[in-house]
Formats: sequence, C-alpha cells, structure tokens
Amino acid sequence: MKKLLGILAAALMIASCSADRDHILKIYNWGDYIDEDLIGEFEEWYEDQTGEPVKIVYQTFDINETMLSKIEKGHEDFDVVCPSDYIIERMLRNDMLLPIDTNFGSTPNYIEGCVSPYITQCMSKLVTGGKDASKYAVGFMWGTTGFVYNTAHVDPQDVATWDVLRNHKYEGKIFVKDAARDIYSNVALYVMKDDIASGKITPDELLSVPNQEYVDRVEEYLMQIKDQVAGYEADFGKDQMVQERGWISLNWSGEGHWCKEEAAPAGVSIDYMMPKEGATVWFDGWVIPKYARNIKAASYFINFMCMPENAIRNSEVIGYVSACGDKKVMEHFQDEDYPEMDLTYFFGEGAEAVHMDKTLYPDKSDIDRCYLEHDWGEDSAMLINMWSRVKGSNANALTYIIIGALIVAIAAAVIISRSNKKRHSHRKGGRR
Amino acid sequence: MRKVLSQAYIWFLLIILYAPIVFIAIFSFTEAKAFGNWTGFSVKLYENLFTGGVNGGAALILAIKNTLLIALISAAVSTILGTVSAIGIFNLKGKKKRTIQFLNNIPMINPDVITGVSLFLLFVFLHFSQGYLTVILAHISFCTPYVVLNVMPRLGQMNPNIYEAALDLGATPWQALRKVLVPQLYPGMLSGFILAFTMSLDDFAVTFFTRGTIGLETLSTYIYADARKGGLTPELRPLMTLIFTIILVLLIIINVRQERSKANKTIR
Amino acid sequence: MGKRSNWAIPYLIFLILFVALPLLLIVVYALQDGNGGFTFDNITRFFTDSDALSTFAVSIEVAIENTLICLLLGYPAAYILANKNLNKSAVTAILFILPMWINALMRTLATAELFNVMGFTLGKGTLLMGMAYDYLPFMIYPIYNVLLKMDHSYEEAAADLGATPVQVFRKVTLPLSMPGISSGILMVFMPTVSTFAISEFLTNNKIKLFGTIIQENINSSMWNYGAALSLIMLVIIGLTTLVLGGEDSEVEGGTV
Repeated sequence: MKKLLGILAAALMIASCSADRDHILKIYNWGDYIDEDLIGEFEEWYEDQTGEPVKIVYQTFDINETMLSKIEKGHEDFDVVCPSDYIIERMLRNDMLLPIDTNFGSTPNYIEGCVSPYITQCMSKLVTGGKDASKYAVGFMWGTTGFVYNTAHVDPQDVATWDVLRNHKYEGKIFVKDAARDIYSNVALYVMKDDIASGKITPDELLSVPNQEYVDRVEEYLMQIKDQVAGYEADFGKDQMVQERGWISLNWSGEGHWCKEEAAPAGVSIDYMMPKEGATVWFDGWVIPKYARNIKAASYFINFMCMPENAIRNSEVIGYVSACGDKKVMEHFQDEDYPEMDLTYFFGEGAEAVHMDKTLYPDKSDIDRCYLEHDWGEDSAMLINMWSRVKGSNANALTYIIIGALIVAIAAAVIISRSNKKRHSHRKGGRR
Repeated sequence: MRKVLSQAYIWFLLIILYAPIVFIAIFSFTEAKAFGNWTGFSVKLYENLFTGGVNGGAALILAIKNTLLIALISAAVSTILGTVSAIGIFNLKGKKKRTIQFLNNIPMINPDVITGVSLFLLFVFLHFSQGYLTVILAHISFCTPYVVLNVMPRLGQMNPNIYEAALDLGATPWQALRKVLVPQLYPGMLSGFILAFTMSLDDFAVTFFTRGTIGLETLSTYIYADARKGGLTPELRPLMTLIFTIILVLLIIINVRQERSKANKTIR
Repeated sequence: MGKRSNWAIPYLIFLILFVALPLLLIVVYALQDGNGGFTFDNITRFFTDSDALSTFAVSIEVAIENTLICLLLGYPAAYILANKNLNKSAVTAILFILPMWINALMRTLATAELFNVMGFTLGKGTLLMGMAYDYLPFMIYPIYNVLLKMDHSYEEAAADLGATPVQVFRKVTLPLSMPGISSGILMVFMPTVSTFAISEFLTNNKIKLFGTIIQENINSSMWNYGAALSLIMLVIIGLTTLVLGGEDSEVEGGTV
C-alpha cells in the first residue's frame, strides 16, 4: 500500500514538473489590460535579445486583494505582477518585492526615462519603510476614479457630485466597481466633505489613516444606496454601459474612455466625469514578487513594456493611459479637436499647450483635487469587512421566517412519523 | 380535456426550458459582438469558429481542445477503472461491500464546490503542482462512480457462471475478461463512458479549483472568465448551438433505436 | 486473479486517496491556523462573521424557495410524463433532461441575457427564475423514474375500493413516489446552497450564495477559513441526507 502510494506520488511529481520552469514567464495582470499581440512578440524579442527561449503563461485577476492574497498567503510563483499603488506600498513594506535589475547588457534600457515625472512623484509618496519604490516598481497605466455616464440619460450636473448615487432618478441604473478601497476612498471624500472643509482632516489623512468611525459612516451611506445599485462589477460594467443597461458606472477613467470609443459607433454617447468633492488618482505598476522564478525574463518583460511604441499600443487597445511620459506618446494622442491644456505636470517642458482628451489626461486643475490611496496594513481588514457587509447583507426578516418554517416543518414531520410508527407497532402488538 | 391540459403544461415548461437555448441559437446567426444585439443575418461566427479567426485569438480553440482532451482521458480511465471495480464490488459481500459503495456514493452526493475544495486541499497538502494531471485525476474521481453504477446492474443480469466456465474451458483470465465479460457489460460501460464524458465536459467548479496557475483553461473556465469581463466571446454562440444540436440528434437516435429494439423484443 | 472481489482493491485505494482523504483534509485544515497549529478559531469566526452568516441564511432561503418551485413545477410534469394515458412519447421525457447537456454557465448566461432583453432588473426574482430553470430537470428526472417503475395495480386497487382520484393520489401515488421526491430534493437543495458563479451572473453580483464565499476564500489563499466554511457545508449535507433518508440510487444511476 505504502509502496503503491509512493510510486503514484513519484509519477505525479514527474508529470507535473515536466515543463521547464526556467523558460516560462508567469505574468499575472488585470483582465483586458494589455495588447495581447505583445505577448507573442515579447517571446520572439526575448529570444532575439538573449538567445534563450521563453514561454509566457498569462493569467488575469480583477480584484487587487485577490491577487495580493494569492502571493502573500499562497506564495504563488508569478514572475511579473501589476498591482495598484497601495498594494505596491504594502508589498514593499512586507518585503514581498525584488528590486528590478536594469542591467540588460546590449539591450537598450527603456525603463529609464520612460515613466512620467508625475508618476515618479506619486511613487515617492508611497510609505514604504525607507525603500525607494521606483527601484521596485515601474509604472504601467494610471488614471482617476469617477463616473462613466450616458449623456442621453444623465444630466452632467448630477454626476458632478458623489451624491448622485443617492439620486432616485437613476435607481437600478447604477453600477458600482467591486473595489473595496476605491469605493471607500471616493465615498469618504464625499461623506467627510464638511470635516475636510472645516479643516478637521485633510483628504490625504483621510485616505492614509485608518479610522473606524469614518469607515462606519461610509458603510452607512453605502447601505442607503444599496437598492439603487443595479450591480457590483469587477469588469463587466463597461459592457453594461455600452449596451445602455446602466446609465452611471462608478469606475476608472480608462474604462470611461473604452466605453466612449466602443459605444460611439452604436450611437450611444458616453462621457466621464470626476466629481467636484475630489477623487482618487491611481497608478498600476509592474513588480517582481519575491517568489518569482524567472527574474531575468521578468525584468526584460518590464523593459519591453516600456518601449514607447508598445506603451502606445497598449493604451490604444485597452483605453487606459500609459504611465510613459515619453513625448512620442504625447504626440500620438494629440488631436486638434480636443481643448488645449497644460500637461507639463505629466510630459514636462513643451507640454504647456497641447490638445488632449481630458478623460485620459486631466488638466492640472483637476489633478490637484485628486488624492493617492494608501495601504492600511493590518487595518485594511476593517475596510474589506465593511465592503463584504455592504455587498453581502441580503438576509432579511423573510429569510429567517422561511428558514424557521422549514425547521418547524422538519420537526413536525419527524414527530408525526415517530408517533405513526408507535401506533403501528402498537397495533401489531395488539394483533398478536 | 385532461390530456390537452397536461400536454399544454408540458409544452409550456419545455418552451421555458428551451427559451435561452433557442435564444443562443438565434443570436449565433448575427455578427453583433454583444449578446442580444441583432445586426442582420450572418454566418460569420460559424466561419470564424471553423477557420480559427476567433476574436479572442486562439484562446477559445485551445480551451475547446483542452476540454475534449481532459474529458476523453477522464472518461476512458473512469470506464476501465469503474468496470473493473464494479466486477470487484459485485463479488464483495457484507460490510466491505457497503463501505466501498458508501465511498462510491460520496462524489455523487457532494456538491461540486466541496469536491473541488477537498481535492484542492489534497493537492496542496501533497505539494503537487496543479495542472492537467490534477484536473484529470479530479475528473476521474467524480466520473468513476457513475460508471460503477451503470455497470453494476449489468453484472446482476449476467449469468455468474459463464466467466468460470470460460476459465474451465481453458481460457486465460485475460481472454475470459475480453471475450466473455466485456461483451456482456458493454452497454453499461458505454452509457457509463458517455455519462462520464458529459460530466467532465460540463464541469466547472472542480476544474476551477484544481487547475492551478499554469494558465490551463477549459471551456467552462473560459466562459466564466469571459462572463466576469462581460464581453462574452461571440463565437461561443455558434459553438453552443452546434454542441446542443449534435447532442440532441445523438440522443434522439439512441432513444429511437432503444425503443425499436424493445419493440422487436416484445414481438419476438 | 482468482478472487474477483480483489478487483475492487485498486478502486478502494483510489477512493481513499481521492475521496476520503480530501474530505478528511477539509476537517484538518478547518481546525488549523495559518501555521499549522490546532485551533477552533475558523469555526467560531464563521459564527461572528456577519457577511458569511447572512450569505449562509440567504443561501438556505434561496435553496428552500428553489426546491419548492422545482417541486411544484416538476412533480406535475413528472406525473404527466410517466402516465401512459397522458403522454405516449418517451422523447418528451428526454427533452426535459436534454438541457442538462448544455454547459451550465452558458445556459445561465443566456438566461440572464434573456431577462435583460425582456427588461427585468436582475435581482432576487431573476435569481429564483434562473435557478429553477437550471435545476428543474434534476427534480423531474428522479420523480419520473420512480413513477414510471411504480406498480399501478395499487392505484387501480384503491380506485376499485372506492377511493376518489384525489384520495388515490394522496394515499397511494404520493407516498409511493416519496423516494423520487427525496432524491429530487437532494439533487436541488444542496447544489443550490453551494452554487457559485451562477448566482452572480443572475443578479449582477448583487446576491451571492454560500459557494461563492467558499470560493472567494480559497481563491484568496485563505485555505483554513475556506475549509471551515466547507466543513459547515459538509455538516449541512450530512443533515439533509439524514433527513431525506440516506442514499438513494434513483438519480445517481442516471443513464443516458
């Protein structure tokens, strides 16, 4: 028996380890977050540059926390991952990342000079316990959080405030992103607006310091709007918008841009708005987790993603804005139809008066009321639990009445069948 | 009158049951990317499916291949394992028989999620890296019980002595198995195989938990990932329509033939 | 080769390794903390986790409602299908189990899409309709099988003895079809509680059932808590099977 198990185990081991891990690159990225042609092109490029073959295993996630947990608790051996700002912060603080080796031999280093000064500045605001975040993470995409809305059904004045979620005009037409921290941060900016105005708390403190009282107040607000919401979505909200099943979607700017482009041919007009109370600005970046097993290919992959032409291709396909501050990117996305604005904060000198889409590249004045989110360490649980309660609390009086009725019915059935049996045995006994 | 009402009720239920399937079939004949939009009649999606020009790239085709491969291997192994075991179980008695039958019933009563989670924990516990092999093992574990249950009744109908008779007449055990047992058990094995195959084909939860992180996708996991994103790959519509049509035709043929052979027997 | 009862040994080993051991591991993981130490925390956590508790209650409620709907819709259908006077064609019965061969996720998505097109708001109502649609065949099939095999001379005898049709049904047919009903309930109730994916698709993620919570925990590598939730599920399975009178071979023997 033991021998047999041993043989079986050995056979399984051999079969499962057959693929050579050194030539596999495991990428874990957001869904719909890359030009998928680039995956195959990287494999060729890598072999060109290094003479070594590589096969990409590409997997996607749609919730930051799921991804984090897989690596933090599951020790999954992904080589390149694309977490958001606050997750990068957490991973750095918990020593979960490896520094990115930028020594590419004869291959040019595209990473250097790729990331916009604005993203670098955001990166420097991360609280990492003394580590230089830019050595561990390379910005990929960035954007803001706000409302994607259908211009035919929604008054732009309404979506200029987070309060629109409470507006009965849009009952059953609102989709909310299933992203605990983004929802908390943005709703908190609204719910706490009086405290912010009176100077009791700054928006930055609000987003970086865990506070149960604020979490409770946000929860109260989210519970109030529960009946208004048509659904919580990790990734299908954009589709619902294009098909006009939702009129308002609390979403990321990139999704807004994607919707706009996708809906236009069908005659559906969609726009994106950042409410006046303020919103979050975020960026996602490539990192190499410490459980990675193909570090070389991982850093080459990050380098490849930083080529300006690849940055442009990714942006074109997915609708999000590349963190790449290269002038080539700026020139590519310029269009005289757009209003003129000052994008020096992002592209540096020479971007004083460019015509760009404001959904993608917000004006400096809009950026100034955007705030970066921060990890709460162990206190993140208070936020995650709040969000689970908001999404999950569907039990009501009827629920317990029905369950109670079932229990009573089962009990009654058991008692009746017992007494029937007794009667029967009694009768039998009598006959004897 | 009662008959009319009964028939009306049956057809009412059937219409409800088939509405979504008919819905898929209708919208497989239009090119629209979004399910539910009609942009005029077209067989483009069918062409795409066969020429591989699927919007989502080769991923869907690969998922179909994986699904079929996994289902075929699992069903074949389950059929062999299940048949041999059924013979063994049939010849067992008393407590031993009850124990193994009890164990055999567990995968059928357990909801998929529990089966999936329990196998996932097994592979984590044994440090197996998860992939094709773990999915196939998992599928064998929930398919085999159905084969056992399909073969057992056949054993009951069989004359228990003919296997011994064959041995007495000089057949080796292997010959006796091949020439005597298998032909007798064949119908049970076949229905067991078909059932195992369709169970494996349709499985989502168990595959989801045991496929690991090597990027293995079957049709079910592909559809799940697709639906979470909202944009269901349009080529799934013709694919589902085709699968359904094939199964419909197959089942009707099988049943009509069964009815006929039954009728023949009664005439004889 | 001599003793044919030995032929069951490989499968017995297989069953122990791939059925018994995994179930045991659910118990083991449920009673462990992250570092492998023994603890009851995962179990007690469930009883203080308002999200999991609420989801659990909702799952049981939906399962009760779904089982009732399937039974009320399915029993008459099974009765008609099995009755030679009302239905002559065996093909009609096959038509009822045929949808089971279409990928369940795909069917569910098509149903949700159909609701969308018809203008229903996805929520509790569509969840119940969609679930009933998914599970109705599982209720009809076992009842149909039992009714088909039933000895009709009992019914005739009762009628001859002067029972009205309603009495015949209540006193003879219904009790005799109980095994089918309990298999049907078993086939519908448990899978409904533990559903994941299907409920989300039918409600735009607004209502999740217990299976989803298990999935979320396992998927986020919270194996111990996930195992504890699975253990609670296992207890419910045990109870249901007990109430419904143990294993029933009516359904499981499902042949093509």
